[in-house]
Amino acid sequence: MKPQSDDMFEYYKHTSMFWNDMIAMMSSKPSSLMAVGPLRNLTENIKKISQELIEANQEIVDFNTQLVEYYQHLGETWIGAQKKVMAKISEIPQDAESIEAYKRVWIDIFENDFTQMFDNKSFSKNYNKLVTTELQLLKRWNTIMDVMLKSANMPTKEEINDIYKELFTLKKQIKKINPQKRTRVRKNDSGI
Amino acid sequence: MTQEFDSVPTIIGDFLNFSRNLVELPKKITVPHEVKIGSCPYDVVYEEDRIRMLHYKPLTSKQIQIPLVISYAIVNRFQIFDIDPKKSWIRHMLESGFDVYMIDWGSPTSMDKFLGFDEYVNDYLDNCVEYVCDQSSVDKVSLQGYCTGGTLATVYSALHPEKVKNLIATAPVIDGWKDTTVVSNIARNFDVDKMVDVIGNMPPEFMYYCFSILKPFEQGIEKYLKFFQNMDNEKYVDSFLKIEKWLAETPPIPGELFKQWIKGIYQENLLVQNKMFVGNQHVSLKNIKMPLFTQVAVGDHLVSPECSMPLHYAVGSEDKNLEIYPTGHVGMIASSFSQKNVLPKLTEWLKKRS
Repeated sequence: MKPQSDDMFEYYKHTSMFWNDMIAMMSSKPSSLMAVGPLRNLTENIKKISQELIEANQEIVDFNTQLVEYYQHLGETWIGAQKKVMAKISEIPQDAESIEAYKRVWIDIFENDFTQMFDNKSFSKNYNKLVTTELQLLKRWNTIMDVMLKSANMPTKEEINDIYKELFTLKKQIKKINPQKRTRVRKNDSGI
Repeated sequence: MTQEFDSVPTIIGDFLNFSRNLVELPKKITVPHEVKIGSCPYDVVYEEDRIRMLHYKPLTSKQIQIPLVISYAIVNRFQIFDIDPKKSWIRHMLESGFDVYMIDWGSPTSMDKFLGFDEYVNDYLDNCVEYVCDQSSVDKVSLQGYCTGGTLATVYSALHPEKVKNLIATAPVIDGWKDTTVVSNIARNFDVDKMVDVIGNMPPEFMYYCFSILKPFEQGIEKYLKFFQNMDNEKYVDSFLKIEKWLAETPPIPGELFKQWIKGIYQENLLVQNKMFVGNQHVSLKNIKMPLFTQVAVGDHLVSPECSMPLHYAVGSEDKNLEIYPTGHVGMIASSFSQKNVLPKLTEWLKKRS
């Protein structure tokens, strides 16, 4: 089947997904026969791991692009600041005290230029895109870990989250029911 | 050329001094993580979930009737208020006759990720104030909030004005759109939903990133160069290590609270526009009619004065005072400058109203 999108990336993603599903379907019977005991669960869910890895491809590319831009911001600002320092130090006399003066000039110029960069909208946008992409990759990693945890008969992140949520709701309800919510304690804890 | 040679002995001398000091340093001082912070003794008088309320032991025979409750920031720990006896905010207040309580918000775990403004303001802070009122047999307390704790104190005062006699807002985060710091530039485009969805709580590592972009060269390089230059000065080293230890103890921020913070203050700027809701209650700054003392620092690179000052103009108080100091965010509360300039004005103002 020909992919709708002309985008090469979409094409490769589609092809990978197609074969991933096909292989999972075709190998389900043999793998069921071969996988026994606790690892059976992992074998059955292994498709989910490859799906996540395929989906992550675009994000890895985006992450790399944004990371390059992030370092580009840092690099360009560094070079610009260093040029300003070089121009300025020619005015500083060459004696023992000049080391302190040089340090002051270097720090002031770098501080100023980097603060301007951090204050720049384009830096903020790229940095936040970078963090968001990293978080998306982390989310996929969490999903993969969940498959592994499930196979080890351990609670997944989602299940633990549900428990936390339940505990939070219960605590709130108890506090509403019991107005004597404060537990007073008296002890010297300052260690002084 | 002669000039260049003249400076050589000085450079060699400096280098030899530096090497000697570097070798002798570990013999003189304690291991950094064992440094003790805090000089004023206290009792932990109230605990709920992760939070604790500390009651400092009085330093005067007679105390001012209205107690002072300090709502510390949710970033870093409360010890900065008492980091050094000579620069201690707490000690100064105790010596001035105030009965001082401090809220330590503690260190939230993953289980606390659903805690938001409602729990912090209407449960924790309210319970602390109630406790102090019970213990001191008063109906109202003086409430001071620092940084993000200033925002919590402001929201509390707007929702529970009947329990606050005086409000002291020290570098509070109020108007996110007017904030000119690099932190606000990052916060405005931050995908906080994704962060909370994937990680849960705001991790300290991210806070360290935010700290590192604030004066990266002064704080990241020059500070350490100065340390090496002054490492034979015991007092300097002691003070340096205390601050470093304090900086390194940043707790995570509960995910829901962080989300409401970023969206409500920095992205949508709801608080100052009186559009914020906490636990289904409308937060109107006009409800703040008690005496207000706002303190801001011109050199504050974490919460710019433009971000804090709108509180002074947005409240309904008639008795209000705005003080602007030529210092920084931490310098305003823990420095010789604050002992000489910030605290005397505050204690004088507060005594008249307590």
